[in-house]
Amino acid sequence: MREFLTYLVNGLAVGCGFALIASGLVAVHRVTGVVNFAQGMFAVVAGLSASWLLGVGLPHGVSEVAAVLIATMTGLLTGLIAIGRRGTTPQSSLIVTLGAGVLAYAVEIFVWGDQPRSFPGLPGSLTVAGVGVQRQHLLVIAATAVTFVLLSAFFGRTYLGKALSACASNPYAARVVGIDVTTMGLLAFAIGGLLGGVAGVLVTPLRPISFDSDVTLIVNGFAAAVFGALTRPVLALSGALLLGVAESLAAGYGYAAYQTEIALGLMLVIMVVQSTRRATVLEEST
Amino acid sequence: MTRLTPVAPVREAAGARPGSRIRRVLPGGVVAAVTLALPAFLDDSALTVYIFLGLAAMVTVGVSLLMGYAGQVSLGQGAFYAVGGYTAGILAVRGGPPLAGLLAAPVVAAAFAVVVGVPLLRLRGHHLAFATIATQLILLSLAGQLEFTGGDIGLQGIPRLGAGPYELGDASGYAYLTWAGVALVMLVTRNVIVSRPGRALRALATSETAAASSGVPVGRYKLVVFALSAAFAGLAGGIYAFYVGYVAPSSFPVLLSIEYIVMAVVGGLGTVWGAVVGAAAITLLVQGLNVIGTAPGMPSYAPSVLSYAVYAVVLIVVVLFLPGGLLPAVTARLRRER
Repeated sequence: MREFLTYLVNGLAVGCGFALIASGLVAVHRVTGVVNFAQGMFAVVAGLSASWLLGVGLPHGVSEVAAVLIATMTGLLTGLIAIGRRGTTPQSSLIVTLGAGVLAYAVEIFVWGDQPRSFPGLPGSLTVAGVGVQRQHLLVIAATAVTFVLLSAFFGRTYLGKALSACASNPYAARVVGIDVTTMGLLAFAIGGLLGGVAGVLVTPLRPISFDSDVTLIVNGFAAAVFGALTRPVLALSGALLLGVAESLAAGYGYAAYQTEIALGLMLVIMVVQSTRRATVLEEST
Repeated sequence: MTRLTPVAPVREAAGARPGSRIRRVLPGGVVAAVTLALPAFLDDSALTVYIFLGLAAMVTVGVSLLMGYAGQVSLGQGAFYAVGGYTAGILAVRGGPPLAGLLAAPVVAAAFAVVVGVPLLRLRGHHLAFATIATQLILLSLAGQLEFTGGDIGLQGIPRLGAGPYELGDASGYAYLTWAGVALVMLVTRNVIVSRPGRALRALATSETAAASSGVPVGRYKLVVFALSAAFAGLAGGIYAFYVGYVAPSSFPVLLSIEYIVMAVVGGLGTVWGAVVGAAAITLLVQGLNVIGTAPGMPSYAPSVLSYAVYAVVLIVVVLFLPGGLLPAVTARLRRER
């Protein structure tokens, strides 16, 4: 039982990392209709920059915030090349973000080398109800909770957030009432970068990150996001937690080698089941 | 569903003008002759590039058929390449006749595509893209753990390709084999495209609903073309296994699948020759940069940085500014000048 709880907390922390990636995907997809393949890259950029800034001698806190800002800028740049040109279809944009991810490989190797990097997170562990829990895990879970609350407040309560939601539900109507859809799309990419950055900074102390970690991150993030059909953040969050816990339990009970198969197999099953419920006509007309 | 490029236009009926047939066949004949002559003039390292170029072209023709004609995005084409490579490798290492291994490679890859495709081809657009990439990740992870695939170390000491007393020892033999494969793949693709099912494929790429209501068996055609593109990749994988003599999970990274997309998009989706042009352009460009990157005085990371950068920049520039691809853009300009 005690083991189970440890694996559970571990899995929740890992799942929170996926949830932040997934929420970035959802933010970009809702507003622009683009599936941002570079979303995992934002986390990698943030993780690598944080470890580099800490190595240079900046204190904890400052380094992490700076790394998240770098990721946000990366998100904005990716948005500029992916949707900045008029008339780029969402599918072309997907391929462009794929290109942006590969371009980031070149930059990352150039700046930080091709070896995995990590940095220490919160040291020590707490004992909660007789179960030892690493503080970093708790930090990840708490930070994700705060991020999701802030996100829902932003989208639901602020004018800007509502403008973003308007673009998401009907771009044409949004343009008619004077909302600049492209600017909002760029803003969504910046938010995606921010969320990816937060994920990267939180997860890197748990698992060392290297330039090509983005594939695993994006595929897991996408797997979480499909739970919410790429539009609903809360379902994406629950999907991510389920995924993280499933992976962690699999690893804990001796199937560590089959983590990838379990997580991705789960995603495939869910996508196929979802697709049988949708009519082709509806999908093609949107 | 929005698409990357307009579906390839239906070509005017063959032989509409008396001179046009020669004009169309002539460039192909010249290219074929040059292809056959080249191995005699290349040294071993250049032959290696030539062989890899051919293998990439073989896979890319399949990607172009799948993406450009049938409108299905596969980011996991490397998975079929891996299936082909492992099939040939396992059969040959266990003492089976190498030729049987080579023939089995495309068959097993196609069979694998059918098994995977039945559930996955229900998905569209980015869902299919992620599903195929997930398939490749699962496959690589399995290959890294199972006994009979040799785990992470992979299969080593795959014997040379041969039949009876003949053994294909030198690189030029593999070059001819590879390019014969390319020719076969191109011929099959061309015949599929001009056939009635080929037109049905273009129809279902525009709208599956409309195609289905005109009597196109959408599911079956998608599956067949998926299996066909997998067979092309499997054949290339089989030749790769015999030529290199070694396959491991690290031989087939996800980036490989992305490279094929870059080649197909750069050459021009939905054109048979475009796939070959794209594969050649990208392979030679990366090879050229590799020479620069490994020149004395360059830092050790230079080759990988340069090749990633060139893949990315070429892909982005072509998608944004030449959405039809290189070959259609060039031929359109030539036609205008004529």
